[in-house]
Amino acid sequence: MEMAAIAIGESEWEVAVPDKPLKDKLYFENLKSVVIDTNLCSRCLTCAAICPGGITVVENKVDFPDYEDKCLDCGACVRVCPRFVYEPKSGLGSYIDFIAGRSKRFAGQDGAMVTELIVSAIEMGMIDRGLFAGRDEKWATEMFHVREPEQLAITTLGGTKYTFADVLPELKKAVMFTKRGVGVVGTPCIVSGIRKLQQEFPLFRERVKLVVGLFCTENFHYGDISKFLQEKGVDFDKLIKTDITKGKFIATMTDGEVKFKVKEVEEIVASGCNVCTDFTALKSDASVGSVGSAAGFSTMIVREENAKEIIGYIKEKGYADFDEATPEELDYLINLKKGREKNIKK
Amino acid sequence: MKKVAVPEYRVGEKVKLHARAIGTAMVESVYPKTVTTQYPRERKKMPDNFRGYILFEVDKCISCFQCAFVCPANAVRAKEAPNGRYYPTIDYAKCIFCHFCIDSCSGGALKTTKIHDVAYKDMDEMLTLTEEMIEPPEIIREDKKSVEYLIDEKDLHLKRVREVDTLFVAVTPPVEIPMVSQCIDRANCIGCRVCEEVCESGAISSSAENGVLKMKIDTDKCTGCGLCVKECSMQILRLVRK
Repeated sequence: MEMAAIAIGESEWEVAVPDKPLKDKLYFENLKSVVIDTNLCSRCLTCAAICPGGITVVENKVDFPDYEDKCLDCGACVRVCPRFVYEPKSGLGSYIDFIAGRSKRFAGQDGAMVTELIVSAIEMGMIDRGLFAGRDEKWATEMFHVREPEQLAITTLGGTKYTFADVLPELKKAVMFTKRGVGVVGTPCIVSGIRKLQQEFPLFRERVKLVVGLFCTENFHYGDISKFLQEKGVDFDKLIKTDITKGKFIATMTDGEVKFKVKEVEEIVASGCNVCTDFTALKSDASVGSVGSAAGFSTMIVREENAKEIIGYIKEKGYADFDEATPEELDYLINLKKGREKNIKK
Repeated sequence: MKKVAVPEYRVGEKVKLHARAIGTAMVESVYPKTVTTQYPRERKKMPDNFRGYILFEVDKCISCFQCAFVCPANAVRAKEAPNGRYYPTIDYAKCIFCHFCIDSCSGGALKTTKIHDVAYKDMDEMLTLTEEMIEPPEIIREDKKSVEYLIDEKDLHLKRVREVDTLFVAVTPPVEIPMVSQCIDRANCIGCRVCEEVCESGAISSSAENGVLKMKIDTDKCTGCGLCVKECSMQILRLVRK
């Protein structure tokens, strides 16, 4: 057969191989020694999303069982890991708009503006699916693909969970399915992982159209936080909402509240959070959180044009109330997280 | 409600009707016009593309899982064989005899037969393992004639022929469209070389030098089996016409 008859595709191509600090070791061993074993790992699972082998989570740590045999040594994990070459960033970042909002359509943690942003983007046709972290009855996270606003009737999709979710492995599936684009919500580490994926692979660059970041001080492993809350007398069957405000962890149940100081949970904070300096998800398209606005409102830092477009759409349709937000209120937590720079071993 | 009344016949009419009935019975006893196949003494002749019991040829199977993937009744499962390959098993308790598995079999390893009369003692026995699919099941043949159904202008007729129909069909080999695997999106390649690892014909090769991994598909060696296309985690390989 003649080569000329082949219409599409190519039979020879090249891939740039990433640098290996430990030359004679596998790439996963490099990742393990640079990121995982030094407790730098944020458990964002960007590596698990791209790994064609089997990077997964074992006992709260990112691991690769049988990596000696199964690691293909392609280097994809170190290419996408946001902390392999860690450049800690902090502050408020650049933004177009800084406002507070409260959705009229949805209920969520505060103003339900994360839900509102994603659903409005679906309505606008910017994206055809949004990735939400839902939870089961025991408050373990599970991922949902939301394609219709009606699916938001699953009330467990809104609200903060204070537990890691496997957003990025699910994002990989979503970009394979999507026709228009994917919208995704995540903590600052997940946002930085997405940006790294977008930087390395056009697949993610073209198909992830909206990245909503969350304000985040720290996160917990499911096993740790569920055990801790049960010791405090929280009944998962009755638990409605978890929240951290003004230095207090509040678990609201159908028959009362359990309150304690955030300092008490410090021991079980995931190790990767101790070296994280990013509070406001600096690399997101829009960051959302509760600090900086009145009760019942969500603070929004609009950073990119696509998020500004969505805010314009929400205003035009009248889906939400808007209010003033005060950036100064974020200073305390931004500085708190900036202080964690000292935990990073050079 | 209207009652159906018994018609009143006179004696002459009764005799006439009885005589006609006896006449018909006498004709039928000499020259019967029955359309019932006298199975198992005779067997209906099935067309060559009859969708019956499925046989399997190990040598032709490329373990592509297409049969298991396409089965609408989830009757086909791929099971690991001692040699590390995966081969199909069929659960006849679920099979709807659509033969999508045969149609989708790229190696021509699955083939149909005209066998439609297999009895099982229980449900578990209906799960037919790969090794049981290679040879046809034991069938006791009592038939001496085969029957063909013919439809003429007036009626359905049976044509009985004194010959035993063979139940096995010679498979006409499928028209092969030569395909070859090609990279359609080099920018998304992560360089994991899974394609090279799964390729059975040795068509895919790679070489690393100076921090660049060079991937190459030998289009002459590539058989177009599609295993690399299936395994590529970034979906950057595709089968195209040669």
